[in-house]
Amino acid sequence: MTRGLVALVICTVMLVAVQITIISPLRIAGVVVMLVWLWPVSLALTGRTVVSVGAGFVTGLLFDTHSLTPFGLTGVVGVLLALAAAQLGREGVGDLDAAAWWVTPALASAAGFSAPLIFIILGFLTGHTTLWRGNLGVMMVVNAVAFFVLARPLTRLAQRVAESGGWSRT
Amino acid sequence: MASARTRRGVLSGTVAVILVLVIIIASGGVLSGIKAAGRAVVAPFAWVLTEVTRPIGNAFAGAFNYSDVVAQNRQLRAELGRAEMQGNESSAMLQQLQEVTTLQNLPFVGSIRVVTAQVTTNSPTNFSASFTIARGSDDGLLTGMPVVGNGGLIGRVVAVSAHSATVLMITDATAITGATFGNGHTDVLINGRGVDENVVATAVPLSSPITPGTVFTTSGLSGGLYPPGIPVATVHTVLLTPGASTYDFSLTPTADLHHLGYVDVMLWEPGT
Repeated sequence: MTRGLVALVICTVMLVAVQITIISPLRIAGVVVMLVWLWPVSLALTGRTVVSVGAGFVTGLLFDTHSLTPFGLTGVVGVLLALAAAQLGREGVGDLDAAAWWVTPALASAAGFSAPLIFIILGFLTGHTTLWRGNLGVMMVVNAVAFFVLARPLTRLAQRVAESGGWSRT
Repeated sequence: MASARTRRGVLSGTVAVILVLVIIIASGGVLSGIKAAGRAVVAPFAWVLTEVTRPIGNAFAGAFNYSDVVAQNRQLRAELGRAEMQGNESSAMLQQLQEVTTLQNLPFVGSIRVVTAQVTTNSPTNFSASFTIARGSDDGLLTGMPVVGNGGLIGRVVAVSAHSATVLMITDATAITGATFGNGHTDVLINGRGVDENVVATAVPLSSPITPGTVFTTSGLSGGLYPPGIPVATVHTVLLTPGASTYDFSLTPTADLHHLGYVDVMLWEPGT
């Protein structure tokens, strides 16, 4: 359990660092791929609800310490994505070894597509009305494609972390 | 058992969401300490990644000393930007100076001390136009100080730590810049629209003659965020609605905001 928790914390902080130093500067069509949202989705697809929700929350908060967007909003989106993906993960829908190869990427892609929109809607609900962007469609498509590509390796990592923690599917 | 755990998970997630929403609503500067702690946690990992990935990047281009060329290019771009800004300042200020400076004691931008800073990271997200510089409070930087370079106004400092500062660009959707043009008799507010987007000025009286290419400079009104005379943007498109008594403008920032290597922070505080 402790070993798994340490691995989870290290992976989470490392992913935020990768996001800040490598992924964010590499804008695709002017859009930043939000790896920090894919991580909780990957964890959730392994069926660990609480772990993925916690990781989504912490990952988002850490990311928000580097951003001028409303503090905590990225974390909330991560939590919501994790909760939604975990519904499927618990049923084994996103299982890398049992399901067809494209299922996990497709689910992650759907998360990537909806995440920017959820971010803007939540921002609007909390009074931050300036988050709307004209290129929202591009943002959604780029993140969907990137999540599709990155889903399998990241979910494999999430699976290893979850197994090292001995957490059961909950 | 499993369903009970699931309920617990959903419940804890919901509580977390509510807590964060409360924090978001209540946030207003009190979170700077939390942010600093978060940055401190990620910083060692980010430093290792940067140190690891930089040589790899350089190795690809090492045969041609590409990294040196890039560094020189950044320096030259910064110098060119300053020269462009001076040129823009000259043309835009000339008219104002003829009419105004003889009557009023306006502080001239050129007399304000600047601190040159290297841009370390660009905005990590799609939702804010900002970047971080490698100068902080130890170098005399304070929140609110204007940041210029690459031919004009870039933004202002919104957060400062000992060795770094965060700059909010004029293109950010929350950024509002007081500006003027021509003879300086008309003041407008320039609003950002987001990363890589033009800025806009709305509700400008039709009595103010403007053509594409007109330079807007900071108005420097009392209590404003910027000193007067800094080039902000040039008119890109004039949007005139038939029957309206005002017109709107799409403006291109005079500063090249896509290639920020070095910037100058003006040691000027709002309200001074």
